[in-house]
Amino acid sequence: MSRHRPIHNRLSLLPVGLAMLLVAQALGPPTAAMAQDAAVESVAIVTPASRTNQGWDQQGVDNLVAVGEELGIEVEVVENAGYDDITPILNDLADDGFDLIVCHASGYQTVCPEFAQSSGVPVVVIENPGAVASALVADIETQAQEAAYLAGVLAGLETTTGTVAVVVSGEPPTWNFMTVGFAEGLHSVNPEATLLYQVIGEAAYDDAPNAKRVTESVIAAGADIVFGMGDGASFGMIQAINEHNQNLPPEEVVMFIDVIGDKSGSDAGQYLLSSVLFDYRGAYTQLVQQLDEGTFGKVYTMSLENEGVRLLEIAESADPETVSHVEETQAAIIDGSIEVSAVGDADGVHGRLDELFPR
Amino acid sequence: MNVEAVLTALLAAAILSSTALLLAAVGEAISERAGLLNLGIEGVMLISSLAAFWLTLESGSTALGLLGGGAAGLLCGIVFGLLATIGRADQVVLGLGTTLAGGGGSAFLFREIYGSDQPLLAQGQGRPFQGLLDWLPVIGPAVADQRWFIYVAWLLVFGAQFVVARTTFGLRIRAAGESPFGLEAVGGSVIRMRVAAAAIAGTLSGLGGACVSVVELGFFSPGITAGAGFLAIALAMLGRLSPVRILFGTLAFGLLTGLDTGLQIAGVDVRPEFLAMLPYLGIVIALVAFGRGTRLPRALGKPYTGIAGSR
Repeated sequence: MSRHRPIHNRLSLLPVGLAMLLVAQALGPPTAAMAQDAAVESVAIVTPASRTNQGWDQQGVDNLVAVGEELGIEVEVVENAGYDDITPILNDLADDGFDLIVCHASGYQTVCPEFAQSSGVPVVVIENPGAVASALVADIETQAQEAAYLAGVLAGLETTTGTVAVVVSGEPPTWNFMTVGFAEGLHSVNPEATLLYQVIGEAAYDDAPNAKRVTESVIAAGADIVFGMGDGASFGMIQAINEHNQNLPPEEVVMFIDVIGDKSGSDAGQYLLSSVLFDYRGAYTQLVQQLDEGTFGKVYTMSLENEGVRLLEIAESADPETVSHVEETQAAIIDGSIEVSAVGDADGVHGRLDELFPR
Repeated sequence: MNVEAVLTALLAAAILSSTALLLAAVGEAISERAGLLNLGIEGVMLISSLAAFWLTLESGSTALGLLGGGAAGLLCGIVFGLLATIGRADQVVLGLGTTLAGGGGSAFLFREIYGSDQPLLAQGQGRPFQGLLDWLPVIGPAVADQRWFIYVAWLLVFGAQFVVARTTFGLRIRAAGESPFGLEAVGGSVIRMRVAAAAIAGTLSGLGGACVSVVELGFFSPGITAGAGFLAIALAMLGRLSPVRILFGTLAFGLLTGLDTGLQIAGVDVRPEFLAMLPYLGIVIALVAFGRGTRLPRALGKPYTGIAGSR
């Protein structure tokens, strides 16, 4: 009896061995290659607040739904997830077989990359380029400072009192980038202006009562243009302005510059001067394509040039010369002759504001 | 910068924003006086806030909207009172359940009714005393230029103080919380008094919720009361369940809330997070300093089983 099996017998075991290897591969720890396997069929998005808040959450959801319809991809929305640990939600989505999860809040910067590493499900995070990992984690930089710079130019040219206010519902990177961009734009055309910077609270994104109170106070302090970053809290700011403007002649009204969404056609659009619009469609389309092509895991920065951010059409009440100046400034930013600072941390914001508008 | 205008705006905002808290806190105080601990104020405020907003938008009448909010609160209060007395439900569980149901239910209904729209109410409410006290800097316009409902709320508070402290009905409510067996021994009905107190508390909380959406903000959004119901419970205890003391407590809270805005406008370089903490820190300090002498009703939170264990 031979100690060795005939060669054909050993060859016959090859398919079995390959099958076992494949099974072992399937049962083993996730790898980058696994995340790149199939074409994208379904995407989920997790938002901290309501998908109808006409702000950050709604814009992300609406844009992803639009991309899903265009590309024929199923989109699942998980809203009102809050800012606590969303790992159970992510696990549920992974169990349901979603190919990609968009973690639509800078507050999910840590939990989502950790989840991607442990589960192998690709995720998209906001404002965390350091977490980017090939085939697993991509990052969207919503650095809207360039469009906010235009808003600052607009405010600087349109203010009649010389006092302009920035009211924010917190100091997350997204708001901070815009605050500095706005202040630099304001300073470029009206360095003598007074800039009032007001923080409603630490994470007061839906705190409309306090947003209204703060806005009333800055109006009393002389501000005639309010650049408001609030999400749900924005409606408190808008109502403060609506109330103040009752029975005032047009030349004395206070105007509002909004962010993220377009409220011009709604009840809130009455005193809207403009808005810094976010458009994630380009980012989402590109990220889905990258996942399909196996090149997922990069940083996507929204800018004026790629139309990820832009300024909403300026209200008719604005001076045509102001509109022209804003358009020229936009061209200068795109061709690189004007550079806008990208400051994401709160201390950096306070420092830059002190430099530009010392009190 | 016009410092007087800023101070006036801050004080006016403090008065306006403290009104909803005041109504809810006085309602909670009356409920606690009767022996019912109602932790569901937040949920009642949210449901009533939505009801008032919807009715105002549909009818165009602020007064009707406010009445609708009060009616929604009354209904919630009666249900709470019946479940806590006849149903002998655990008051803490019942209250927290009311808060959860009110929060979730109002958000669900709002979405069902308005979808992704965010309608706003026109700001056309009367200010009956506007300009009357302009001769008095800061305080004059801040007090006199408020909308009519603010003065109605103050009247309700003083009315509640009178009823609780000076009437037989008030005495029976206090007896239901302090000595329910004594009340029954003299022929009173503990259950009836407690349900009545819960109904009053619900109505006042409902008016508080309505005040937020219809008077203060002019719109509704899910979670719009932002924890005001829980603050109201703390302020009721801080005010030792006395409506007039609660009035001063809520005003102080409103002023502290405005302090951070004032300091930011003045350019004081303090972290916004620290400033935002001030009003809550103030409540904790006040509770420690002044709340020690607070003696809550003896039967607070205890289901009433009757003299012989029967109802």
